[in-house]
Amino acid sequence: MTLAVFLPFLLAALAAWLGPRLGRRTGYVAALAFLPALLLAVPLAGMPGAVPALEVTRWVPTLDLALAFRGDGFSLLFAALIGVIGTLASLYAVAYLSDRERFGRFYAYLLLFGGSMLGLVLSDNLVALFGFWEMTSVTSFLLIGLWHTRAAARDGAVKAFLVSALGGLGLLAAVALIGIAGGSTSLSGLDVAALRASPLFTPALLLTLLAAFTKSAQLPFHLWLPTAMEAPTPVSAFLHSATMVKAGVVLVAKFGLLFGTSPLWSGIIVPLGLATLVWGAWLALRQTDLKALLAYSTVSQLGLLMSLYGLADAEGNFAGTAHLLNHAAFKAALFFVVGIIDHETGTRELPLLGGLRRALPVTFGVALLAALSMAGLPPLGGFISKELFYETMLHQGPLFIGVAVVGSALTFAYTFRLLRVFLGAPRAPEGAHPHEAPPGLTLPAALLAGAALLFGVWPASAEALTRTAQAALNFAGYPGHLSLWHGVTPALLATGLTWALGALLIGQAGRVNALQRRLTPRTNANTVYYSLLESVNTFAAWLISRTQGLALPDQLRVMLAAAAVIAGYAVLRAPQVFHPFGALPLSVLPIAALLVAGAVGVLLARNRLTAVVVTGLTGFGSAAAFLALRAPDLALTQLLVEAVTVILFLLAFRYLPGGRDLARSRWRYRVDVLLAALAGVGATLLVLSSVRFLAPPISPYYLANSYSGGGGKNVVNVLLVDFRGFDTLGEVTVVGMVALAVLALVRLGKRGRTATAPDALPPEGLPPENLTPTPPPPKERA
Amino acid sequence: MTPRRKKPAPVPVNGSSPTTAPLTDDPILRSVSRAVFALILLFAFLLLWRGHNAPGGGFIAGLMTVGALILHRIATGTSALRVDPLRLVPWGLALAFLTGLVPYLLGRPFLKSAYGYITTPLTGEFEWASALLFDFGVYLVVVGGGLAIAYALTDVDPQERVEGDE
Repeated sequence: MTLAVFLPFLLAALAAWLGPRLGRRTGYVAALAFLPALLLAVPLAGMPGAVPALEVTRWVPTLDLALAFRGDGFSLLFAALIGVIGTLASLYAVAYLSDRERFGRFYAYLLLFGGSMLGLVLSDNLVALFGFWEMTSVTSFLLIGLWHTRAAARDGAVKAFLVSALGGLGLLAAVALIGIAGGSTSLSGLDVAALRASPLFTPALLLTLLAAFTKSAQLPFHLWLPTAMEAPTPVSAFLHSATMVKAGVVLVAKFGLLFGTSPLWSGIIVPLGLATLVWGAWLALRQTDLKALLAYSTVSQLGLLMSLYGLADAEGNFAGTAHLLNHAAFKAALFFVVGIIDHETGTRELPLLGGLRRALPVTFGVALLAALSMAGLPPLGGFISKELFYETMLHQGPLFIGVAVVGSALTFAYTFRLLRVFLGAPRAPEGAHPHEAPPGLTLPAALLAGAALLFGVWPASAEALTRTAQAALNFAGYPGHLSLWHGVTPALLATGLTWALGALLIGQAGRVNALQRRLTPRTNANTVYYSLLESVNTFAAWLISRTQGLALPDQLRVMLAAAAVIAGYAVLRAPQVFHPFGALPLSVLPIAALLVAGAVGVLLARNRLTAVVVTGLTGFGSAAAFLALRAPDLALTQLLVEAVTVILFLLAFRYLPGGRDLARSRWRYRVDVLLAALAGVGATLLVLSSVRFLAPPISPYYLANSYSGGGGKNVVNVLLVDFRGFDTLGEVTVVGMVALAVLALVRLGKRGRTATAPDALPPEGLPPENLTPTPPPPKERA
Repeated sequence: MTPRRKKPAPVPVNGSSPTTAPLTDDPILRSVSRAVFALILLFAFLLLWRGHNAPGGGFIAGLMTVGALILHRIATGTSALRVDPLRLVPWGLALAFLTGLVPYLLGRPFLKSAYGYITTPLTGEFEWASALLFDFGVYLVVVGGGLAIAYALTDVDPQERVEGDE
């Protein structure tokens, strides 16, 4: 399992490297990455009886953090599903993508996603689960924005990311709460009884739901999924229909074991899922873009799955898993079909297309099977799982089954709309000569449609898979059964009603359209999202122009004042004991005089050049002090930092107008003197209060262990590279980032500052500059 | 990767600069800088090398190298490095990170350094330490970052910015 999760990550790096060399054939390498995931289906075969395998890789044991993968029936089933769709999507993309595509990037992102998704479903450790969850959000963002030159793709990517990041934060909080209340971060090992008794139970439940609903595009977070269709079609089929959007459903299914007992759990999920089912189908009926239609259809079907798993009982889970399988098969197949249509005709607009069955007979056959499964017609898998869905909803009450029937009738109607591109008189945009797609495109779609058919005509296959998942979700004994013919049951009657209603909707298409136009609400999730986004942007611009747009001296004043307020408050709250310095060597005295002279010299300097050089004096003075206090390493560092700083200062000062200071008003002058005095006194107090240690000093440990533990006689260096090597690594990262930032600023200046937003600009011309030295470049010890 | 001692053909720094002319025409500075440049670099390497056991280390050596290279740049107008200094930063970071990763993958704490002693008749006792590699990564980052800033600042003709002033 660990291999199944990590191989895609490894091959992602390889694919990124191979992409420019192999071109589209990189896809074959990418497909290999899902091989171990496919092999996970092997332990699945013996599953209902077998004990779930647990593979643990140590990560940060002190934080109770480990890469623990648990192969229970449900997880393995989903992992195998990811493997199948991932392989097919990789192969499909080989034939689908244009020659100009940057294959390395595409497949690298795709594999990164595949690995994260596998990690997400197999992970038993909650923290790792959260990590993988976020990685799917990020990779989804990258894949939606793959064609980033298009504004719509950028917008879709940002929208998807913002919405799912909101949920990700919810999940992080939920994981933390569950970890605290349950006493463990292991999903299978935590104390469920303690969690249920804890006051944190309800917040954790709500936060988990937030995560699940945003990821699975439930009302009112469904807005991101349709715009995510800007991604290439293989991506839409893989991420946005079959796997990633189901992560929320997986979360509900798995966490149902923890939260299922609460009436709040099903009380929220089931109505919301059903509402999403109906509303998504209603919106799907209105779309003219084939992919948008499928996107809303996915929203709607996810609602159905949510309502089933949300029940957190044996019946709901059984029907849910059965439908999950069917949906993955038919929806991915339909996406592949739409990709073929797009590929062959150059458009996805419903009104422009018709009669494609003649030009694309194979595609038509595939589409027919998949679509009929989606509509819930026998003898396809979709029919069986819809029957189970009705059965379950019948047990919940008349209102539930009523809503379910309406939603399914709408599904029936939009499926017919989708199929219309194949029916009627041949129609295609001018210049397009559609002919049958190459087998590289039709074969993956045909395989999936074949699975949809298989689940229908041989229900035992789906039943076996469903049963293994059932056992993993603690409902092993459920006597559920999948078959095409249950006898004349209430569920069958409801199906008949659905078909009648669906046919009515199709027949009265004109009236339905008119009704839809009338019923379109003025405010929807999208308008809310955009107004929210805009107000955040406006606020940020306002805040930046008020704080960051200031001249440097003003910023420095604000910073100093803020530091004074914060430090003063801290001292007031917890008065410090001030210690006098101990005995100081006499040699420090002249050095102190040098330092003071430097500081005074800066104030007296009449032009910038002198000021910079005199500032250097204080720096070199500190170096001398370090030397006097026998810290040669510090002294050397300080000396060099000072030298380089002065050089950089001088180089930078060539850009400033004139050599002299600009005049300050008398009032300004007083404020500055006051601020400087406060800062000086504050810094002195801070040093005095921290002379003595609260805990016994750690330096003897370093002295004793430097040679034996780090193998070096220079304690300072061993400290830097070994004992606190992590700090050093962080600090050099900062050095690199600062260099990048400075470079960006200098280059921006060269180009005449066209790149900044107008309201973030400082006033025209260079800001008045006083002689307060800005902080030097990063020092070694922060 | 490491700075080259021999004077390379003039290359435009950062690929864009119109002004690779020396900032000064001082012949004394130019001739002195050539000798001093090599000396400073040698001393920087010494600091890097002995850092584990005596005052020195990657950060200090890096700063010193930056100083030498800036001197070279100011005096001759050419870069002594053949690569864009900014490129050293990711390499250095990767090196530092990887030296930390190796012990982690071997089951020891992240960044735990390994060391040992080799005794040969010629050099006497010689200590190798993985910390030296880490330090070299730090060195590369500091050289790259510092130089990138310095070159960016020397790169532009200041005249275009102070026009109309005074």
